Amino acid sequence: MTIQKAPAAAPAATETAPALRVRDLVVRYGRGRRAAAEPAVNGVTFDIASGETVGLVGESGSGKTTIGKAILGLQRVTEGSVQYRGRDITHASLGERRDLGGELRAVFQDPYSSFNPRRTIGASLIEPLRLRGVSRADAVGRARSMLERVGLPADAVDRYPRQFSGGQRQRIAVARALICDPSLVVCDEAVSALDLSTQAQVLNLLADLRDERGLSYLFIAHDIAVVRFLAQRVLVLYRGQVMESGPAAGVTDAPKHPYTQALTAASPVPRPTEQAERRARREVLVVGGASAAAPTSVGCPYAARCPLATELCRTERPALRPIDDRLVACHYAS
Amino acid sequence: MAVFVLKRALLAVLTIFAVSVIAFLLVHSMKGDPGTVIAGLGATKGEIAAINDKVGWNDPLIVQYADWALHAIQGDFGLSLIDGRDIMGDLADRLPVTASLATGGTLLSAVLGIVLGVTAVVRGGIADKIVSGYAGLAAALPNFWIGIILVFVFAVVVPVFPATGYVPFDQSPELWFISLALPVLTLAIGGSGFIARQARASMYDALAQEHIRTLRATATPRWRILYIHALRFASLPIIASIALQFIALFGGSVVIEQLYSMPGIGVDLQAAVARYDAPVVLGVVVIATIVVVVVNLILEMATRFLDPKLRAS
Amino acid sequence: MTAPLTPTAPSAVRPQGGRPLARLVRRPPAVAGALWLAFIVIASLTAPLWLPYPTEQQDFSAVLAGPSPAHWLGTDELGRDLLSRIFAAGGGTLAASTIGAVVAMLVAVPLALIAASGGERVEGVINRVTEVMLAIPAFIIMLAVIGVVGTNMPIIMAIFGFLISSGMYRVFVGAAKSLQAQLYVDAASVDGIRPVGISLKHVLPGMLNTVMVQFALVFAVAIMLQAGLAFIGFGPPIPQPSWGGMIQAASQHVYDAPWMMVPTGIVLALTVLSANVVADALAATTDVPQLQIALREPKRRMRAGASTADTQAAAGEGLRVRALAVGSEAVTLVSDVSLDVRPGRVLGLVGESGCGKTLTALSLIGLLPPGIRPQAGEVLWNGHDLTRLSEREFMRIRGREIALISQEPMRALDPMFTVGYQLGGAIRRLQKVGRAAARAEAAALLGKVGIVDAPTVLRLYPHEISGGMAQRVAIALALAGRPRLLVADEPTTALDVTVQAEILDLLRSIIADTGMSMVLVTHDFGVVADICDDVVVMYAGEVVESGSVHSVLEGPQHPYAMALLAADPHAGVEAESQRLASIPGQVPQPKDWPDGCRFADRCRFSTEACRRPIALTPRRSAEGEVRCIRSAELTAAGVTWAAAPAGVEPERVRIEPERVGAAEAAQAPTRRAEPEEARL
Repeated sequence: MTIQKAPAAAPAATETAPALRVRDLVVRYGRGRRAAAEPAVNGVTFDIASGETVGLVGESGSGKTTIGKAILGLQRVTEGSVQYRGRDITHASLGERRDLGGELRAVFQDPYSSFNPRRTIGASLIEPLRLRGVSRADAVGRARSMLERVGLPADAVDRYPRQFSGGQRQRIAVARALICDPSLVVCDEAVSALDLSTQAQVLNLLADLRDERGLSYLFIAHDIAVVRFLAQRVLVLYRGQVMESGPAAGVTDAPKHPYTQALTAASPVPRPTEQAERRARREVLVVGGASAAAPTSVGCPYAARCPLATELCRTERPALRPIDDRLVACHYAS
Repeated sequence: MAVFVLKRALLAVLTIFAVSVIAFLLVHSMKGDPGTVIAGLGATKGEIAAINDKVGWNDPLIVQYADWALHAIQGDFGLSLIDGRDIMGDLADRLPVTASLATGGTLLSAVLGIVLGVTAVVRGGIADKIVSGYAGLAAALPNFWIGIILVFVFAVVVPVFPATGYVPFDQSPELWFISLALPVLTLAIGGSGFIARQARASMYDALAQEHIRTLRATATPRWRILYIHALRFASLPIIASIALQFIALFGGSVVIEQLYSMPGIGVDLQAAVARYDAPVVLGVVVIATIVVVVVNLILEMATRFLDPKLRAS
Repeated sequence: MTAPLTPTAPSAVRPQGGRPLARLVRRPPAVAGALWLAFIVIASLTAPLWLPYPTEQQDFSAVLAGPSPAHWLGTDELGRDLLSRIFAAGGGTLAASTIGAVVAMLVAVPLALIAASGGERVEGVINRVTEVMLAIPAFIIMLAVIGVVGTNMPIIMAIFGFLISSGMYRVFVGAAKSLQAQLYVDAASVDGIRPVGISLKHVLPGMLNTVMVQFALVFAVAIMLQAGLAFIGFGPPIPQPSWGGMIQAASQHVYDAPWMMVPTGIVLALTVLSANVVADALAATTDVPQLQIALREPKRRMRAGASTADTQAAAGEGLRVRALAVGSEAVTLVSDVSLDVRPGRVLGLVGESGCGKTLTALSLIGLLPPGIRPQAGEVLWNGHDLTRLSEREFMRIRGREIALISQEPMRALDPMFTVGYQLGGAIRRLQKVGRAAARAEAAALLGKVGIVDAPTVLRLYPHEISGGMAQRVAIALALAGRPRLLVADEPTTALDVTVQAEILDLLRSIIADTGMSMVLVTHDFGVVADICDDVVVMYAGEVVESGSVHSVLEGPQHPYAMALLAADPHAGVEAESQRLASIPGQVPQPKDWPDGCRFADRCRFSTEACRRPIALTPRRSAEGEVRCIRSAELTAAGVTWAAAPAGVEPERVRIEPERVGAAEAAQAPTRRAEPEEARL
């Protein structure tokens, strides 16, 4: 059996509407007088095609988690739109979300607070099914088979979360996400809290399930190498704006935006010689300065730290322009 | 910070206003109306009605309230229905009594409580168990019961302190102190238990913080870790409980005032309620609320000032 | 096919152990309290059935009498039987108290749930209102209310319940908000459950314990309150007896009949005490907060007895750890750890969670958690065996010779004091200089760690600076005493990757400047590759491989190290690999450690011989050591731990029959990727 590469591009869409379409998304915390000065998400646009995995990469304050929450309806959207399979869900009511029929699901970061400790695994798993009118017996049956699919014994349905390790709980979280047969799963730092070996297990699981079922993922992470493994396309976010987007391998191996270059140069690799090279590159790119940068509302958000920055960068926000196979928001990238 | 103080002050004024309205309505719903009280037993309905009219009891409530409030702001709370004395003047005499009791009780509770609570944590073992036991017991025994025992021991068996009576401070500071000794001690026994519990819990919490490890890693001496850093960290919840203690003591001093025959506002209120002396009830409730609200405001400021995270905002 | 589930993993949230009943039963005082409460409730409710005397019956032959066969608890000033009156009074009091507590809960709980789920504005409004209510003297209001409704205790207590609900609200809203912030609430939202449903299904059940505790406390206060009111004459209407009224009557006769005070007071106190004790038991969590400082026996040595090591030879050679074992009385957590840190070199201690790297590092500076201490081996530093030092002796070394940098910089700094105070204080202590000199040195140190505006930062509080800056401050703190060895416990794990790069650069330059050595604990091999010279890989409390960073990272010889490096997505994705190598199963808990190789259960190369204890042996054609009897063989054969293809059925790893001898080893077939196991 040949090993399938993760599809380089999404399979030719048989449906006209992409799985997810986000347009000019703006999210600002607080309301009225209490509104924050800077939006957490400041004009983000992207699509996820059916069967495609898109990665959102950024450090703290990049807005990546907020985007995930906005899509799931956990965070109010200030401006812009989110469309799922052609339906506008930007301000979807609770009833409308429920009608989505469990097509839009999530796996969260912290395995220790993802499950109600007072309920059995089974009770948590069947909840979304029961809400949609599935009979109890059927729901439990599906829960059991789902658990086995993620590599846990079926009798786990009767156990409590505290009886499982972090990695096992993340598997159960994946089971919960997939139990309704969704089309899109938002993975919000789904492996960030796991040890390396457990992380690998869960990543493999996510990849397998994706290939098996043709799922789309929105994979949110701060670790660009993890995203590169799972995603076909990646968006690099900084302070709520997209800096660069394109094929995962390309963006990671040959980044064009100064921030992406800084990000990849800063991510250490476990090979000493190569890491020494990266270090040398870091010095050139002036990777740091995060603490010095103050939020600006005009111009490029990265201008305060960028070695290429000019007056233009500080006054005019660069638009995403196509360079080769990707989009880059920089006046000077090539 | 200034904005915050202003906002809080405004809130305090609103609180007093709201309480005065509620108290006014309560007083108006009391079983006895001025007519019945003043005319006394055996009065005819006509006599009662006449008095009520004269006093304005049947006027629209808003009018009555506005009239009262206008006078109150100028310091005139009216006259007692029972003995006609000036309420404000009377309260002015009584307030220091209750204030002395509540303040003394709170201070002593705080000192004792903090010492006990911190010692329980620092010593651990038997000391911890003793303090916990004491705190539990002190909270369970009614303060008037403790008071009676204390009186029995210290005023009768071993006559050290007077059993009753209050001496105003300007009359004689020493006698003032002595007359307060037993009542304050009574209040402090229960109160110190409450504060000791909070102090103990807060100290444990403080010592579980990670920065304690950093302090150890930089060779900070043990006493400094305990009494400067940990105590400082624990101070905020402790002050919050001291504030609560004061409110409880000020409001609840009635019982102790009665037991020790101290002429405070508490017994005044009690008598007024028993005799349906409406203006006095209203006056005491409002004055007590003012005092408590103001003290609460001050303590809130102190807490905010002490917490670096809140100080700036 | 699948193995049984492994037991509990450590949880970040402190759970409350077991069901409420179980918690009650575990504590004798609570059991006693519960029994008393049950007794008094039943006795009071059934009072009309069994009271020996009607409460108003006066016996003039036995006035103010003490206990006697006729009157078990004595009589009052009118010759009425105290026992009867006490229990007759009980019913009304307890009922009214219950009403008060119930009302308080009925008001406070919904308010808390609404505030927690309603968002900032809703919460703000409710907070203001309850703050106002808390600032009102409740007792005084209640007296005024008595003027209206008379001494109708149930109503009075209901109003009391309403007034005190604001205090309860404060407690509940904290619990509700923290529950609302849990991720399973988000998951329920994604499921499509309405906010009300979430509050009732997920938040409220988590609060039940707190509610019970507060219920018991309010109940106790209500009893006291009624007694107080009765004492000042506002008790239930005559002829109903009340505890407060009885104490009031007793107080009149405290001189001639002191006994009368006792029975009522004790019954009242016992009831209140019982409620409090039950509340305490319910509130207790199983985990006591883990103190960062041992409060008792601070002078005890970590390990008794003189050192057996040759300390003199060790002087000036940096840090040498030999066969160190660390653990508590019940269990060993780290065993047989040996490592060397030469001056100017950086040693990486790397492994996954639970491998014991942090405990090993903390034992170097004597800051192990209370209850955990070195059990065997030695830590040789500058002529001393650190495991034998007393706390006082260690104080002289900490900060001055060995310093610590922790993982979470924000938590490592005291939030109540400015950066300047903490840094200046440390400098004064460790360098023995005056205040002015310390301040100047503090500014200089901040400059050295790359903080540009030192005077401003010195005036700031920890919460006012960013995580990266806080870690720089922490590094400055560590350098305050000019140490020779830095112990860094995952110093960059909590930081963004670009900030991490800065901090690593900073550490590197400091080490180059001062010639210090560093022990760096991390789970990230990339960090090891970046800054470390030597590396020690740990698994389940023991060292499995050690050597220079180049040697181990480019050519790991222990299966676990191989597997870990193969599972690292940073290790570079070769063109064809679309699955990550992973290790089936979990790390064994200390109590489940086998005698032999602790990795054997999960290792795809394990054999029967691996079940016996394995010592560290030199690595094949490289310096350093490895704890594996097959490593030479595997290295020679060029075996790697590669990923398994997708869709292959999981299988148990076959344990090969024992093959001893080099000849056979040479004949062993080269292993290709084994089917990956999904066993847990």
